[in-house]
Parts: sequence; structure tokens; C-alpha cells
Amino acid sequence: MAIDRKKIIDEMSKVSVESNEEGIIEGFNVMVNQLPAAFWNSFAERLSRKATPEMMEATEFLLVNAAQECGYHTGYGIITSEEWNKIVGPMIEKVPEDILYGAYAVFSAWGWANAEVVELIPNEKMVIRAYNYYESDVVKFGKSHKMSAYMIRGVSAAFMALAYAGPYSSNNANDIVHTFKCDQVKGIECGDEYGEFIVTKA
Amino acid sequence: MSRILKQEFLIERFFDARNKRHYLNGELSVLHCHHYAALYSQLALDAGETKLLSEVAEETFFNVMTEYFKKYQVAKLEDRITIASQYYAAIGLGQLIVKSAGIDSGDVELPVSHLDAGWRRKWGNYDKPVNYITAGFICAMFSAVFDKPTNYYNAIETKSIVMGEKVSFFKINHL
Repeated sequence: MAIDRKKIIDEMSKVSVESNEEGIIEGFNVMVNQLPAAFWNSFAERLSRKATPEMMEATEFLLVNAAQECGYHTGYGIITSEEWNKIVGPMIEKVPEDILYGAYAVFSAWGWANAEVVELIPNEKMVIRAYNYYESDVVKFGKSHKMSAYMIRGVSAAFMALAYAGPYSSNNANDIVHTFKCDQVKGIECGDEYGEFIVTKA
Repeated sequence: MSRILKQEFLIERFFDARNKRHYLNGELSVLHCHHYAALYSQLALDAGETKLLSEVAEETFFNVMTEYFKKYQVAKLEDRITIASQYYAAIGLGQLIVKSAGIDSGDVELPVSHLDAGWRRKWGNYDKPVNYITAGFICAMFSAVFDKPTNYYNAIETKSIVMGEKVSFFKINHL
């Protein structure tokens, strides 16, 4: 594999995100915000803890979906950006697989999670391991019974869609964003050594 | 002759290369997009949990602002307001202008809003205000600026860019 993960992380972690004179950060096909991780974690955790058993599935679906849409559009912005073309572009040999490996290096560079692809069956299945991720910070002591990495789930499913579901659609034609789904099977917040996520066709 | 130096929000960025985490002024921070912010806001609206969204925003931003004021010994009212407004802009939320601020009330205007602009990009206009994240930020700001605890103020969005107005407007009252 030609993807130099360390080099991508070193370079892409330095990408500058500065707001303009109107307090807006435009970049990567989206408007970017840089909020404390505690904000996203706290809302997701408190909302999901409040959900009744009957409402839990719907609540978690919506938390994952927020990341899935974000991941699809921002992901597209990343893999078509000047920074990507300059740093990752020259490393790509096999398309779209190397794009996926590169995307997860950027995923790590941007602080979403220290995560990598550990298994990939093109257009069928992808397994991701995350060795350190902010969503696990919802548990500071002990283990939770609830897997809580909704953002990693959503973005992982989105990245797979970008790779295999067809050309990018800015308006989500034919619900392309949801071509794949991602289940979390291990979680640091649940006492596991790492988080593990399996992406398959929806 | 003495010079009056204008306060400016200082940004220190740090990337923990071992754990792959970014810090902005010592606070773990993460880049997300307008889709994420808009969808979280929509989720809060649909679930009837807009109060929770504002509360979480208030608690989070209150901690950040009070820490900053303490670290850099920002004590003057106008400096605290300047710093808070600049922080709002630095994290990409838009332009926040405090029109008036007193210990019991205030008015804040948003000529530019990440959340409203993001919502409109996704779905167009909406028939009610959606910026509960900023409402929380404003409550946090007033509490931090006036040395009050959280849950001391209420911020109501009375005009909204997402509803077609030119600016968004918040009225702040002591609870």
C-alpha cells in the first residue's frame, strides 16, 4: 500500500482553520466550526441517556445520521481539496481503496479519532479500529453498557458511500448517503481496548 | 502618555500527536461542519430537547470563557465582552454583537450566523428560530462576564436569519 499514514497525519494536522472577518470558516465544501468536544459529547450522552427503551433506536439513529451527512459532504470536500491533492494525491495507486486509507489518516489528523481501516472488502464490508477517540470520554471511570461513538459510526458509513456508492451527490439523490450502515461492536467507553466498527450495505 | 491596548482573543492551538487530539487554548476541540450543527439542532427541535441543547452549550462555553478570563486576568466588562465575541468568531460561529448588557438583561445581535446560514444551505428558511447553541453561548457569556453562575440567564431568539430576517436578535433576561 502506497499510503503513508504518518506523513498524512503530520501534514494534515497542521492545516489551518481560520475564520474570516465575518466569523465564518469556509473550507472543504462546507462551513466549518471548531467547538469543544465536550459540547458534542455532552448533548449526545445526555440525550441518549434520557431516551426511553422505545425511543433509543430512533435517538441513536439520528445522532449517527448527523455524522453521516456531515461525513459525506465534508468527506467529499476533503478528498477533492487542494491540501489532499498535494499531500495524499501522489500516494494514491488503487482507487478507491487508497482514498479510503488516506481518508482515515485525515480522520486521525483532524482529531476525530485515531482510527484506521483494518479490513476492507470493496463495496461490501469495512472494519475500522479506533484506538483513541473523544467520544469515549463520556466515561471517565468504569465501563458503560452503551456504545457511544455515534460520530465514528456515521462518518465511517459516509466514507464507504463516497468510495463505492457512485458519484458524489450534493443533494443526496436516491439517498446515496445511506447506502451503507455502520455498527459499533467494541468501545473503549465499554471497557474494550479499542473501538471497532463494521460497515456493511444498509 | 499611556496607551489603551485593545483586548484581543489569543488563540493557542496544540495537536497531541500521540493521541491524535486537537486543543484550542487547552480545551479539547474538534472540527465539524454546518451539516452536523444543523442536524443536531433539528434533532433537538424534533425531540423537544432544545433546552438541553442550550444548557449543554451554556455549560461548555461558560467553562471555556471563565477559564480564559482567569488565565489572562480579563477583568474589565468591555474587555470580557470583546473577548467573548472574538471567541465566538474564532470557532466559526459567526459575528456576535452585544448591543446592551446589564446585570439583569441585555440584547445581542447576530449579523452573521454559522447555524442559520448552514440551516438555510441545507433546507432553506424555517418557520421558527433554531439557534439554541448560540442561545446557550450567550447565557454563558453573560454569566461569565458578570461573574454569575450558569442557569442565571435566559436568552430568547426574537428575530432569526433562518426565518428570513436580515439579522438574528436575542433578548437576555435574568431568570
